[in-house]
Amino acid sequence: MQVTVERHDTYTEVRGEGRLNMAAAPKLKDVISSEISAGSRQIVVDLSATEFMDSSGLGALIGCLKMARQAGGDLRISQVPPQVLMVLQLTSMDRVLTPYPDSASAFSRA
Amino acid sequence: MAPPSSTRHALVVEDDDDIRSLLVHTLNREGFTVSEAPSGTRAVELVQTLDPELITLDVQLPGLDGLEVCRQLREYSNAYVVMISARSTEIDKLAGLEAGADDYLSKPFSTRELRARVAALFRRPRDLVTDSTELERAVEVQRGLLPEASPDLPGYEVAASFRPSQAVGGDLYDWHVSSGQLHVILADVMGKGMGAAMIAAAVRSAFRTVGNMPGLTSAFNHAAQSLGGALESSDSYATVFKVRLNPANGRFSYVDAGHGIAAIVGPDGSTRRLEPGGPPVGLWVEVPWVAQRADLNPGESLILVSDGVLDAVGDLEGTFTAMSQAVLAHRTVQDVADHLARLAQDDPEHDDVTAVVVHRHPDVPGKDHR
Repeated sequence: MQVTVERHDTYTEVRGEGRLNMAAAPKLKDVISSEISAGSRQIVVDLSATEFMDSSGLGALIGCLKMARQAGGDLRISQVPPQVLMVLQLTSMDRVLTPYPDSASAFSRA
Repeated sequence: MAPPSSTRHALVVEDDDDIRSLLVHTLNREGFTVSEAPSGTRAVELVQTLDPELITLDVQLPGLDGLEVCRQLREYSNAYVVMISARSTEIDKLAGLEAGADDYLSKPFSTRELRARVAALFRRPRDLVTDSTELERAVEVQRGLLPEASPDLPGYEVAASFRPSQAVGGDLYDWHVSSGQLHVILADVMGKGMGAAMIAAAVRSAFRTVGNMPGLTSAFNHAAQSLGGALESSDSYATVFKVRLNPANGRFSYVDAGHGIAAIVGPDGSTRRLEPGGPPVGLWVEVPWVAQRADLNPGESLILVSDGVLDAVGDLEGTFTAMSQAVLAHRTVQDVADHLARLAQDDPEHDDVTAVVVHRHPDVPGKDHR
């Protein structure tokens, strides 16, 4: 998985391209953890190019959400594809990680 | 699950087509079954599923580079890793060996030297032997924790089918009869392999312990609480589907903790989904789980599958259709379970796959028909 970061005025966008699985999970956590260390508090993970997410991928996302909240910030997700949404719904995690249609709107009504 | 085979598997990780073909050809001649990965990302995935004994690893790869690949795969692979790189300074070699490589060859390399170095590595079986013995033992232990036969419960039959993606896995199922009730559990621990299997054993034990505690809601929350700390500190979690069934009338209570793939299938193939009901254990602890109720009528089957089946089928609707088809196509409960677990067999990267079927015999409930 390729993980890219784009810093905006009010939020940091992290984009994961490829499969978010056991192999990619540590990478996503590393990237987001260093963004939080660097001062980012409002993080949006753009999942539009995430082809597949397995249980390890979900674990990484929730782990990142916990990190963000512990630092006094929050993590939200945008452009969630059907397979990822299904995993969130099956695990009831859609109640915790609310999907937003796009990254810009994720924190606009915070 | 796979018996120790005599063929050795190698994985060639190289983005240059010509060099990759050369490496594949060379290792084929040495008797290896060879797989190829043109990128680091692909390599990491293939190492998980193929578990090769030897990996040749190019350092300069697009995306994830060879050093990073090596570090990642060392978390779960004990393969001999030979790094092959055009970078040939002492620093480069040290970085490679530090990342977990066993040997380092500079490009251009001679195939003869590669063959000699591979032969030298395999001459010292180091801890590979111990590891495979340990693994075989782990497979035995995990098998030993699974229930052997359908519980002795007049009017009911229970069967399961289990296909771990590696020798051992993070799926577990269990059943037993206690205080006149049938207890069934299917759980799926995040990840694969030995670490997941160890946590799975802890999950099984935690839920066995609360088997006789009255009320499924309090029993479940008690078990989840006892597991929560261990799961969180190992950065893992488990989805759990737990059932307590009263055999006299087929009424059961269940907790679905993030599992989400369960249905009751009638003898005519009709399906009723059991709605998902809460987060997985150890992932997000804010609200307690609450048991829900449902009925298993005569002739119906309660079917639980792990998400490995869902991944193989592609979507939820298809998974419930597959459950229905399995019931219609097979006569024995075991065949239904095997049918569902086999759905994932064509997917080489499949997750652990488990299917559990609880069937209530048709006719008069409570009578022994066997």
